[in-house]
Amino acid sequence: MDKFLSIPFLVFLPMVVSIILISPLFTSNEVMIRRFVKGFCSFHFLYAVILLCFFDSANPYLSEIHFLGMDWIQALGIKFAFKLDSVSIILSVLTSFIFMLAAIASKFNIRKNQKFYYSMLLLLMSAILGIFSSNDMFLFFLFWELEMIPAYFLIGSKFLQNSTVEQETEAKNSAVKFILYTFFGSMFMLLGILLLHFYNFASSGVLSASFADISDISIPYGIQITIAVCLLIGFGVKLPIVPLHTWLPDAHTNAVTPVSMVLAGILLKTGGYGIYKFNYLTLPNSFKVIAPVLAVFAIINIIYIAFVTYAQTDIKRIVAYSSISNMGLVLLGLCAINKIGLSASIFHMVSHGLVSCGLFMIVGIVYLRFKERNINILQGIANKLPRLYGFAVLIVLASIGVPLFAPFISEILTIIGTLNSEFSVVLKYSAIFALPLLILSSCYMLKFLHRGFFGADMDGFDKVNDISIHEFIVLAAILAGLLIFGLYPNSIIGLLG
Amino acid sequence: MLNDIFNILLPQVIIGIFIVLLLVLEIICSPKMYKYARFIALIGISSAILFLSTVQTEPQYFGMCNSLMSDSYTLLFDFVILICGFLVTLLSRKLIKSIKGSAYSYFAILLTAIFGAMSVVSSNDFLTLFVSTEVLGFSTYFLIASAKGYKSKEASFKYLIMSAISTGVFLFGVSYLYGITGSINFNEIYKFISENDVSVIYSISAILIIFGIASKLAVLPFANWVIDVYKGCESSVLAFLSTIPKLAVFGILCRLLVFPLRNSFELTFVVAIAALITALWANTFALRENNVKVILACSTSANSSYVMLAACLVSVYNVSAVIFYIICYVFMNIGAFAFLNIVDEKQYLKVEDFRGFFHSNQGLAGAYAVSILALAGIPITSGFVAKIYLFSAIASSGLLFVPFLIILLILTVLALFYYLKILLPLFDDIDKNAEIPKLSPVFSQKFVLISAVIVILLVGVFSEKIIELCRFAAYNI
Repeated sequence: MDKFLSIPFLVFLPMVVSIILISPLFTSNEVMIRRFVKGFCSFHFLYAVILLCFFDSANPYLSEIHFLGMDWIQALGIKFAFKLDSVSIILSVLTSFIFMLAAIASKFNIRKNQKFYYSMLLLLMSAILGIFSSNDMFLFFLFWELEMIPAYFLIGSKFLQNSTVEQETEAKNSAVKFILYTFFGSMFMLLGILLLHFYNFASSGVLSASFADISDISIPYGIQITIAVCLLIGFGVKLPIVPLHTWLPDAHTNAVTPVSMVLAGILLKTGGYGIYKFNYLTLPNSFKVIAPVLAVFAIINIIYIAFVTYAQTDIKRIVAYSSISNMGLVLLGLCAINKIGLSASIFHMVSHGLVSCGLFMIVGIVYLRFKERNINILQGIANKLPRLYGFAVLIVLASIGVPLFAPFISEILTIIGTLNSEFSVVLKYSAIFALPLLILSSCYMLKFLHRGFFGADMDGFDKVNDISIHEFIVLAAILAGLLIFGLYPNSIIGLLG
Repeated sequence: MLNDIFNILLPQVIIGIFIVLLLVLEIICSPKMYKYARFIALIGISSAILFLSTVQTEPQYFGMCNSLMSDSYTLLFDFVILICGFLVTLLSRKLIKSIKGSAYSYFAILLTAIFGAMSVVSSNDFLTLFVSTEVLGFSTYFLIASAKGYKSKEASFKYLIMSAISTGVFLFGVSYLYGITGSINFNEIYKFISENDVSVIYSISAILIIFGIASKLAVLPFANWVIDVYKGCESSVLAFLSTIPKLAVFGILCRLLVFPLRNSFELTFVVAIAALITALWANTFALRENNVKVILACSTSANSSYVMLAACLVSVYNVSAVIFYIICYVFMNIGAFAFLNIVDEKQYLKVEDFRGFFHSNQGLAGAYAVSILALAGIPITSGFVAKIYLFSAIASSGLLFVPFLIILLILTVLALFYYLKILLPLFDDIDKNAEIPKLSPVFSQKFVLISAVIVILLVGVFSEKIIELCRFAAYNI
């Protein structure tokens, strides 16, 4: 069993398949490609679940690749080392799940350049899995940079049949914006990694970039703070933390539905994971100092963005902005620096991944049928699409933190964790400020539901089909996930210890 | 003397023999036989590569009255210079077709430039260095001017003027240094400065020498030639201009900074600031440019300044990073210019001209994309590893230089912006009628492009062997 279950297989298989897909030898029959990718993603999800079933938190999976008997860059102590601990395996399974849903959802949204699209989607999957499973700082950075290329093409390329020129230019511009923001952040991250690598070498004498060998004990205090801030700028672009967030609404709005699902569902979580991996685990001393400041940023994220969300009229933008607001909660959970806060944070990554995925799916379905996203024009969807209405009500309720659903647990846990925080008074007060999220999110989410789904019928849409079987499967899977984790939260919290 | 020739000079002698051969053949052969010139040049370069194995490197060998030397460091640089020369010769097919009659002399000049570059790297005193940089420089003027039309002549003249000024500056610095130490030999100068205290004049002379010699790298203060020259050059000449002089000058620069010019703190600072200003200038200048060649010119200048910054913070680690970066860099550049060589340069100049190129020529556009992404430092290419290695060398040089590093990293983001500006139009969707026709490159062009891409990707993944080689060379400097 040990031989069969390997991390490189999990991480690099999508990349290999993506190369196979784009090669001219592979069939260009669109139906075949679609089915092949769906089949592959399901297999990959199954494989990830098997990995999860055999997971033992005392012995995390470890793996290393050597090239010709040598490390990747021996001169810098950089290795091709992978590790799946309890946090990263949860996020890996979530990645695999969301990509499977995105592949299923692609059927109605992707009408052009299918080969290229699916190839890029799988490459993105590989890069994200690599981020979650790498056990070496530079390997982490490699995957972090690698993820930009497929993400650029997925956001900026033209996959719809009849998109206008303005839409295309807008999509291109937002893709360039995304790539420049990410690259800006990752350059600071590189600086942080280089400094951490060098000072760790100087203090401990071990030339290694592996997370296991890095410790901040004997690094000068000022340097520690510098490193931590540099890293936080990198992760703050991805998470996103407020002043660095402006790429997100554009990118999410202009991308096609499955890509938005992937971006909101899993790409943002890489930022949270990075903060956990680097700042929380590797640099705990400086994180204790930074955490109160970061908590203030988290509160700004939560409250300021909630108001911004309320002012939006485009339903896709509402969902995109609500992701930023929710990511503030993830950040706040991490800032509490205790077990409850951490597990709340990871739990919220999972539950928000599912919720945002579902919301983008609903928005996508509405847009496909009505070709409209303005909330002031949309009305009366409930009469036209009753099944979609059912799902929309449930998922919107889940997103505003109603009991029975997973986000309820994570929001409550975050607040408990923050209240129990021992490090700073700021954090205790910030718990009180975080509570308005529950009210504010219900404001904008119910506005979305109320304006869009109720009211008189829209003219000119007499023959609109209700959701198809593909869309039904995606929404049902998301809802099932939300319910399972809501009713049985111990499945994740227990794994985190 | 004869001993020296057999121990270290054999590759240069081979190149010299082929230069004479080419010049003689130009008189004998009719202009119709211009095609053979390229093969003779290729044979010359490959036999020089073979004869590199005869060069004595262990221990360091000093020959010709201590004016030349060889060790594994010079051997590595000679090898890369010859490989680049080989690829540039392959790329020259298109150029010599247009200048038929003077094909033989073109290759004679190219080989002279290679000869000069090899001598620059292995020189051990300032006189040899001066003579060999002039050999390299003069052959470069002719190479730039070799294409038809007045543009190339203009570019060549600009390069000539700028080189003349910088040579003057260089010689001025050398004369000061001679005045202080009483010698022009690197070893003796090093001995003198490590035994005696040196004055501020020493630093001034060191700065003048470095700036004089760095004009070929397009680092400020002598950098503004680069845009005009790149605009007027043929792509095969650009493939030469952006690789071989760079290799030669960085080869000698590291040695100068490690031995004769070591003890100057002011030098480190002034050079670091000059490099930083160059990086700022080049990266911001490229942002509003539209011509692919000009953007690549700015990228050349910017990349040189990054390497310069690492080189002036002298340590073994930095030297190995410099060698590794420059080796990775020349292959990226050759890849980019090979692509420009394949497409018709007169027709495709601006970034918009390449719109939709990917749809008709997927392989070519893919290879070009790999080269440009490597220049931008995106993973799985050698550019990523090279950037990490170089920046880690700068980061480990001390806290004083961390602000420099921060500025460099931000500039890298700007650089990504203009690299994307070159690259993204290739993937635009356009009408079927406006599409660029499918190009059919000849074997030699394809060979150069593919080998550059293979080197970029292989070094990006299996970088350890090359890094080890660079470290070995840096230890033996």
